[in-house]
Amino acid sequence: MVFKMARGPADPEVKAKVLEYLGKVQKAKSRDVAVAIGASKSDVDNAVKELTAEDLVEYLYITTTFICLKGKVQTPD
Amino acid sequence: MTEKNTPLLDELEKGKWPSFVTEIKRAAVKSEAAGELLQVLERSYKERRGHWKHGGIVGVRGYGGGVIGRYVDEPQTYPNVAEFHTVRLLQPSGWFYNTKTLRTVCDIWEKYGSGLTNMHGSTGDIILLGCKTEHIQPIFDEFSDAGFDLGGSGSCLRTPNCCVGPGRCEHACYDTLEACYNITNEFMDELHRPMWPYKSKIKFSGCANDCTSSIARSDCSVIGTWRDTLRIDQEAVKEYAAKINIKAAVCDKCPTSCLTFNAETQELSVVGEDCTRCMHCINVMPKAIQPGKEKGATILIGGKSTIVQSAFMSWVIVPFMKMEAEDDFAEFKDLMRRIWEWWDEHGKSRERIGETIYRLGMTKFLNGIEVAPVPQMVFRPRANPYVFWNQDDLDRSGTALDGSKL
Amino acid sequence: MAILDQGPPHYKKMLPPIVQENYGKWKYHEIPSPGVLKHVGESGAALYSVRVGTPRLVSIDFIRDVCVIADEYCDGFLRWTTRNNVEFLVSDEAKLKPLLEKLEAEGYSVGGTGRSVSNIVHTQGWVHCHTPATDASGVVKAVMDDLYEYFNTMKLPAKLKMGLACCLNMCGAAHCSDIAIVGVHRTPPRINHEVIRKGTEIPSLVASCPTGAIRPDPKNKSVIVNEDKCMYCGNCYTMSPAMEIYDPKNDGIAILIGGKTSNARTSPSFSRMVIPFLPNTAPRWPETTEAIRKIIELWIANANDGERVGEWVERIGWERFFTLAELPFSDMLIDDYIFSRETFRTSAQFKY
Ligand code: HEM
Ligand code: HEM
Ligand code: HEM
Ligand code: SF4
Ligand code: SF4
Ligand code: SF4
Ligand code: SF4
Repeated sequence: MVFKMARGPADPEVKAKVLEYLGKVQKAKSRDVAVAIGASKSDVDNAVKELTAEDLVEYLYITTTFICLKGKVQTPD
Repeated sequence: MTEKNTPLLDELEKGKWPSFVTEIKRAAVKSEAAGELLQVLERSYKERRGHWKHGGIVGVRGYGGGVIGRYVDEPQTYPNVAEFHTVRLLQPSGWFYNTKTLRTVCDIWEKYGSGLTNMHGSTGDIILLGCKTEHIQPIFDEFSDAGFDLGGSGSCLRTPNCCVGPGRCEHACYDTLEACYNITNEFMDELHRPMWPYKSKIKFSGCANDCTSSIARSDCSVIGTWRDTLRIDQEAVKEYAAKINIKAAVCDKCPTSCLTFNAETQELSVVGEDCTRCMHCINVMPKAIQPGKEKGATILIGGKSTIVQSAFMSWVIVPFMKMEAEDDFAEFKDLMRRIWEWWDEHGKSRERIGETIYRLGMTKFLNGIEVAPVPQMVFRPRANPYVFWNQDDLDRSGTALDGSKL
Repeated sequence: MAILDQGPPHYKKMLPPIVQENYGKWKYHEIPSPGVLKHVGESGAALYSVRVGTPRLVSIDFIRDVCVIADEYCDGFLRWTTRNNVEFLVSDEAKLKPLLEKLEAEGYSVGGTGRSVSNIVHTQGWVHCHTPATDASGVVKAVMDDLYEYFNTMKLPAKLKMGLACCLNMCGAAHCSDIAIVGVHRTPPRINHEVIRKGTEIPSLVASCPTGAIRPDPKNKSVIVNEDKCMYCGNCYTMSPAMEIYDPKNDGIAILIGGKTSNARTSPSFSRMVIPFLPNTAPRWPETTEAIRKIIELWIANANDGERVGEWVERIGWERFFTLAELPFSDMLIDDYIFSRETFRTSAQFKY
């Protein structure tokens, strides 16, 4: 994956905490994740950016944008 | 290929205006999905209701948007459009194309999609209408190799767009094409990875004619203007005088009555400090009147459509800002970062920035983004005395004038 | 490997040589004939743009067709406008007439410049959206067929910009158009409790309602809609297909007029509702095309030279407009939403 690395690499610790938190919920807004794990929102956003590139997390758009573990929320049928 | 009749839609192939039904039929020659779309649509026409469902999941690795999930409500009946997703591609500034580029778009889309497009979506993107989930990643990969990128969707910076500007318009007060290109590139993270309370849009118009309707259609409207006085070429005025009634068509319609045409000398004069830069006179007499020399843009914030709190038009927060490619639009980018940061912190989910400002007050917003208030921000000042005074600025010692305790 | 975040294709590669040479140095423009713009640079160079209407929803065959024409007459360069028109960019004046003849022969619609009605900015409708109260492309087609004589001529009092949005979300910026066509639902969603119990996330559903009309109903493992609060926006249907908002007998179209976004002369303004409801008479919406034609003809007959629809109505007064248009006025036209008070007449001055 080739990025224009505007913000520099994400903090691995934050990435781990994001994964752990998303494991406990269906889906969340990144601001809620930031509050829950006690990190700044921009750090969480940066971590999510890498986690999506690594195929571990994905974004959902259900009237507004959420994040969740990849594949956790099913497409409507 | 489905060979069913579409009597209702066929009615829409009559008449002089180009027909979208004809276009779907053309696509249906090569695409079974387009053929089925026609069947679904004929049913909508018969039943007078839609048959599509919204879907949440977007499928490109590393991005949080750019593809909008779309599913038909009876997948068994219409298997070819069971998944019929929309792909948004970032358009080149000003929607200029060379035919080679357009053919590339067509070739890739023919390979994977329905062959149907919107040129362009209301936000500005190239819209590719109808593909399957499994093809989203390959579509992106091929477009990426061909030099394209996905547009925005979700709670992110939506694809910015701009008017034709200096590319073909004498009115442009800044380089809208370059501004749009440069600033879109600057905010790739904000565009591709939704992280805000809701969507946010920027539109760039080169002058107050506002051909992109930025004031109504974008959270941040960047409208070209000038700071000094418009320039009049008296020779050209005389030429116009022979053709049009300058007093009636120009002076009488100037909203600030600041133009005077002297029939004797055939000269037009302006009271510069009264002109509000509405563009009317320049529109009528482009050869004779042009914007001043000190050009830039007015930055307005808050425009949005009706959902939820009524439609807002953007309002002025910076009356005049230089918009120069030479300094990389630094002042504008810096302002946008402060604005988004404030909104991201204070906005509720699904609240556009205009609504957040309205809920919390302009004062809090201006303080938050460190912009000083100026009278150009309002039509008129408040009509009530209910000021929330900053108590820190007041003498709260609790003493009377003579120093005794109150 | 795919590159992320590479941004849009560079516009400079898309500009014809004449645009590169005269970039930012255009002096003035004229409209030699309907649909043809002539831009002249300080250098004296002239660029002709020939504007052609499109249905916006176009096939790749259409795009390839216009590419063939652009290759032949425009050295391979063309552009699209904000209103979904194609513009052929002709730098060699000798090719202008042959191009116009070619377009005529092939049945393209040339027009949309100056005092004309341009293409109607519109949305997806039944073709591709989930909450539409009417179709978009079909209504636009019917209205443009009817108004065609005003597209390829320039005989209107001023320019006429129209917009269509197929539901209250108003994707199409209809709220600031000279004439706006807006799809309206008029009944609250029907709740399919079965589907909700099967797996709708109730808190998200409750949160999706902009007016707070949806309440959880724990006993039923479903939700209740407070019908008095519902404004029929369909956001809940986006969240859950259990909230069916479409209603074929009650969905239809509202007409709003008098908006504009340009600052020329008067400030930008919102469109205002003048007809609260017209039925969804697919496939050609005769009530809608007729209502719009009547308003336009009234404007032509009464407006001063250069007056846009909204400038005209504001000059004569909305009360006078309703008299002239012989349109019924009803409580549905009086605002009772958030910013209503600014529309009430706080003055003893008015006409009949
Ligand atoms: C909760 C509210 C909204 C939802 C769920 C929603 C949903 C959507 C969806 C699903 C599409 C894609 C349609 C398609 O291509 O199939 C769309 C397009 C669009 N939306 Fe919205 N929308 C909402 C509110 C708005 C608002 C308030 C605006 C304007 C201020 C807006 C502006 C647009 C525009 C400009 C497009 C592109 C339309 C086109 O290309 O024709 N949306 N919206
Ligand atoms: C905290 C704020 C205010 C208070 C406590 C207040 C109180 C009063 C009182 C007690 C009266 C006299 C009523 C009477 O004659 O019996 C009055 C009259 C009036 N007030 Fe206020 N007022 C306030 C704010 C305002 C504001 C903001 C305005 C206008 C923008 C206003 C406009 C008037 C007018 C026009 C009158 C009538 C004067 C007249 O009799 O000619 N007031 N107000
Ligand atoms: C007398 C006043 C005006 C003049 C002289 C004027 C001039 C122009 C010109 C020269 C263009 C072509 C730009 C290009 O090269 O693409 C244009 C396009 C456009 N104008 Fe204006 N304009 C005026 C007022 C307005 C107003 C009031 C609006 C909107 C409410 C508006 C909306 C547009 C739009 C949306 C386009 C895009 C192209 C299209 O319609 O296909 N203009 N205008
Ligand atoms: S907004 Fe102004 S500068 Fe841009 S195309 Fe329109 S008239 Fe020209
Ligand atoms: S730009 Fe508008 S306000 Fe200024 S002189 Fe011209 S018509 Fe008058
Ligand atoms: S206006 Fe409504 S129905 Fe139409 S495309 Fe937008 S969201 Fe869909
Ligand atoms: S239609 Fe809109 S207002 Fe009505 S219940 Fe659904 S979300 Fe709420």
